[in-house]
Formats: sequence, C-alpha cells, structure tokens
Amino acid sequence: MTPRETLENWQRAGRKVVHEADAKDLLQRIGIPVPKRDPAEGRCVAKLCHDDYPHKSDHGLVRLGLSPQEAKQAAAEMAERFAGGTALIEEMEEGSVAEWIIGCKRDDTFGPIVLAGPGGILVELIDVAEIRLAPAGPQTTEAMVDSGPGARLLAGLRGAEPADRGALADLISRISVFFAENADLISEIEINPAMVRADGKGLVAADALIVLSPKADQQENPT
Amino acid sequence: MVEPNTNRVAEHRHSVAEALDALFDPSTIAVVGASRTKGKLGQAVMALLKSNGYGGTIIPVNPSGGEIEGLAAARSLEEIEGPIDVVVLATPVGVALDALETCTRLDVKVVVGVTSGFSEAGDDGHENEMRLRRIMQDAPFRLVGPNCEGVVRPASDLQLTFSPMFNGLRPGPVAMISQSGALGGLMALRLGERGVGINAIVSSGNETDLTAADLLEYLGNDPQIRVVLCYVEELRDGRRFAEAARRLTSDGKHVVAIKGGRSRAGSRAVQSHTGAMAGDDRVISAVFRETGVIRARESVAAVDAVTALAAGRRPAGNRVGIISVTGGLGVEMTDLAESAGFEVPVLDEATQTALSRYVPFYGSVSNPVDLTGVVLANPTYVGRCLEAVAADPGVDIAIAIITFVPDQQFIEALAEAFDSTGKPILIVWTGAARSNASGEALRERAVPVYDSPARAASGLAALAATTGEVA
Repeated sequence: MTPRETLENWQRAGRKVVHEADAKDLLQRIGIPVPKRDPAEGRCVAKLCHDDYPHKSDHGLVRLGLSPQEAKQAAAEMAERFAGGTALIEEMEEGSVAEWIIGCKRDDTFGPIVLAGPGGILVELIDVAEIRLAPAGPQTTEAMVDSGPGARLLAGLRGAEPADRGALADLISRISVFFAENADLISEIEINPAMVRADGKGLVAADALIVLSPKADQQENPT
Repeated sequence: MVEPNTNRVAEHRHSVAEALDALFDPSTIAVVGASRTKGKLGQAVMALLKSNGYGGTIIPVNPSGGEIEGLAAARSLEEIEGPIDVVVLATPVGVALDALETCTRLDVKVVVGVTSGFSEAGDDGHENEMRLRRIMQDAPFRLVGPNCEGVVRPASDLQLTFSPMFNGLRPGPVAMISQSGALGGLMALRLGERGVGINAIVSSGNETDLTAADLLEYLGNDPQIRVVLCYVEELRDGRRFAEAARRLTSDGKHVVAIKGGRSRAGSRAVQSHTGAMAGDDRVISAVFRETGVIRARESVAAVDAVTALAAGRRPAGNRVGIISVTGGLGVEMTDLAESAGFEVPVLDEATQTALSRYVPFYGSVSNPVDLTGVVLANPTYVGRCLEAVAADPGVDIAIAIITFVPDQQFIEALAEAFDSTGKPILIVWTGAARSNASGEALRERAVPVYDSPARAASGLAALAATTGEVA
C-alpha cells in the first residue's frame, strides 16, 4: 500500500485526527527517522496513542525514563484506562541538542505551506517559526534553518554543539513535498518535536500528528 | 429571462490577455448609463472620458437617445453595429444586469462593472450576485468588477472611471491594482503629485471574474512596467498571485502590496501548534517575503515605497549620505535611517573638503551634513553639495533635506545633482506642499520627493528591501 492509499483508507474509515503511532508509521515510509520501537534495553518511553486524545500529556498518557519491563507494564495500564488506544514503547532519545517543530497546513489564501521553528516547550515560550510555500525544495529549507532566531539555536548558542541542520532541512523538504502532494487528503501534519542531534548524527521525530481533511462529500463548501 | 443564445458572435471565452489588451487600448467604448444629469455615475464617466482626450470611439447608451457630451447616444447596446471592445456599466444594478445579459449576445471583449449592489451588499445583494454569476458562467467576454471604480491608462488618454482622483496622471512605469477604488484614488493622487508616472490603474472591485492575480500576471508581462502596487483585501487565487509576484521580482521588477484586514483573527478551530503558529497574517508576511513582495503597512507607506522604486535606481549597499539645511531634520533622518538598518558613515575626506567650501564653521561636514541656512544665500549651493555627497565612494544613497525653496534655480540645481549620478537620491522637502509649482524639474525626472524624514525612511526601506516590510 502506498502512503497515499493509507491516507485514503484512514479517511474512508472516518478518521479525523490520526494518532502518533500510525502517523509515525507513515512518516517512516516517506524517509523520516522515528525512534526505535520496543527496545530490549536502555531507557524507554511508554505512550498510549488514541485519535480522541492527541494531547497525550494532558491525559497522563506519556511515561518517560522507564526500563523496558516498566514500559510494558505502564503501557498495559494506560491501555486499560483508554479503550481503543494503541500502546507505543520507544527508545528515549537522549542525545539531541535541539527540539524542533515542523508543520504543514493548507492556508486559506496561499494553499499548502510549511513551517519550522524551535519546538517542544519552546513553542509556548518564543513562538517563532519560518514559513514557506510547500512544496519547499532543499535550497529553500536550507535557508529556513539558517534564518530567524531559531538559526542561532541550531548553530549552538554559547559553545553548545551545533545541530544537524542538513538532516533538519532534508526532513522539512521531505514532509513539505509529501504534504503538498496529498493536501487534498491532509489538512495538517505536524512533527513536534523532532529531536535534532549534533551535526552529522541526524534526528528523530519524537511525536507526530496528522489531521485529515473531511471526505469531499462531507465538506461544507465543496468546490 | 432571456432566450437561449443562438446568435452569439464569440463562441469561446476571450482569454485574459485578449480582454486586457482590448481594455487598455480600446477602439470602441460603450457607456451604459451615459447621462446628461449631473451627479449620475454615467454622466461622470462620460465627462471624464471626453475631457481626458480619449481618441477612440465613445458610444453613450441611454434609452432616451439624443446627444450626450456632444455624442449621439444609442438607445440600447443592440443598436451598436460592429464589435465593442469595452462596455462600461454605470447604471443601477437591475439595468446593469440586463445590459450584461445583452452583452453575451454581442461581440464584446470586456465589461467594466462600476455598478454596485452585489455580494458586497450582503443579503440584499444576494439575488443580484446569483444572477451575475449565472450570466458570467458562459459569457464570452471578461468582467472587471463589479463594484469597482474603473480603469485608467494615461498613455492611452483612457480614464474609464467616475472618480476625479485619477486626473492628470503622467505615463510611466507604475501599475496599480486595487480592490478598493477609494484607496486606489488616494494612492494615485499622491503618486501623481510626486510626479510618479503611471502605466495603468485597475480598480478590480469584487473580482467576480478577473482577479488581482490575473491582472498581476498580465501587467507583469508588460516591459514598460517596473513596479506594481497592489491593494488587496481578499486574494481568491493567492497561490497564483504569489507565483506571478515571484516571476516579476525575479525579473528585477518590484511588487509593493498592502493586504487589508490583517488584524482579523483566524476563525477556524486550531488542532495543532502549526495552526496557531501559522496565523493568516504571518503567512501573508512570510509568503510576500519569500516571493520578493514588499509589504506596506498602509497606503501612504506604499506610496512612499513606490515613489522610491519608480525612479529605477538600485543602491549598491546600505550606506546613506545625508545633507540638510537644518540640523534637526538631519538628526531625525539619521535616527530613522539607522533604526531601519542603514549606515550613516563619516564622509570621505575629499568630500568633506569639497563641502567645506560651502558650509560655515558652525555647520558640519561629517554626516549628516549640516549645511546651515547660509547655503540658501546662493541658489546652487545645495545642489553642488548634494552632488559632492552622491559622488562619495562610501555613499550608496544620498538624501537632501530642504525646507522652503528660495527660487527656481535652487530646484534646478537639485535636479542637476540628480542627473549627475546613477545612485538613488531622495529629497525631503518639508515645504513641498506650499511650493508645489516650483517642483516640476523634480517631477519630470521622477526624483523621489518626500515631505518628512519618516516618509523618506519608508522609501529608503523599500529601496534596500532590508526587512521586506515598510511602515
């Protein structure tokens, strides 16, 4: 099944918000790195993914810093509380130097756009992002990671290690192309945060969300 | 309603280019609603068309016939023989729609709908809007408006509007597309006062058919046009507008745009951070910046930007040399230039030496140069000083600040200084409004003239496009 067919299936099934576990499966298929699942050792994160609860932390559906054994137990407990969810156990990403948000949406005036900026809790704090028309080619996305206040963070503030800007630019370009090609099916797609490692070491999408468009026959103003 | 159209002349719909070629250089114009009664739109349209010297055929259309503005009136559009390039609708809405329906059976290239009473009238205009859309669905002609102020093209002596705000414009490199007629008028009047030449003005109104994007694409292809000024409230095909703007700006042309309604909050529920972070206004700024469009905060700032760009000179860098007949204005200009990201560097020694021949010991020859009122004693001194500063190898843009003009020679000397260099020159002339007649030497060269340092700073910002926005 192509990623597009997957999106169509989800839309047919009436899904509106596609939860993290499924969103990450799809992202991985378009070449975006995601954390290792069900690791045998090391520190883990356990989550319960559910279309109805996209903001997992608000519902206590994220547990960090667990052993693989503890993670399984935590996942089972959460699954009991929220029927219909999908448990997700992943390796905890601890080597990153920056957390970034990358999102795409359809703007009412200009159509598909892509944004990227400091993510995670920084979204609430500084709320700065570079915005471009989607699809955005590599040259454009390289300029995005080198522009605005976020660029200084990525370059390594006060002696901090510089982040892997090349990998980040590649991710932004990839997701913008995928979104623009499927903007009839997706209304928003967001990775927040992508954990960006030091230069040359890549990144992983630590959380992701896809919001589907309603089917054409269910839209308020079909045109 | 009307019988199915069996005798239609044009079987296909005219392309945007065909329609706009005809609109900007028409051989025949029919004015529906032409009238002898002062105060009626159709009377104003006829009078302005005639008084501006339009050389083609004008046919007034009025059911009572007779003579209007010295021309024989047709009783209806059907009475007119042969093709009609442009039909202007300047009647109440019901009559206008009947005439529009008639146009579908005639050989008409483009209709300009000055008439109001459609979607802009809310519920009251709904039925008219529906009928308008039905007619346009398979109309062979294209429509500008409705609810617009018309079209102006100085090079064709064409003034298809009821508004006198567009009188007396000279031909030149600037085109304007405005969804608001009144804002278009405000900007045209000010550009005209400053001597900025206009290629075309289109008030696009409700954009039922032809949109700002259509117009930008078309006008962008005109080699005579160097700057396009746009006022838009709603961009219906925003993506095409952005792509057209990108093509223009990558060709070295300029697009200055005001997007009205920027403070309106997004109405849709937000599912993600992306939705909240990419609010309408931010996206507009970002897309404009990406496509090279200079965003102006409001109409006067846009005029300031266009005034600077229309002169067609590009600065090599951001170093500004300022001369002033008064210390205070020089200081204000310096503050504004620096806070807009420009440098006001100390002038070259040779320049300082040249200036010291004119500047008394209590003035200053560094930068900003304080010429003091003494220079007014000789009418050519300020011009010579401007020449010296513009010739300085460390200056990319020169600004001359003057208050009142003692005599005509004074202005001529400034104009000569403008001719002496290829660098951008801006003039701040605080007494311009009261000495307007003497400014012709500057206007005919399209020298950017501003009435205050702040207005000149907007022009400066546009020239370097340092931030992508002008306030």
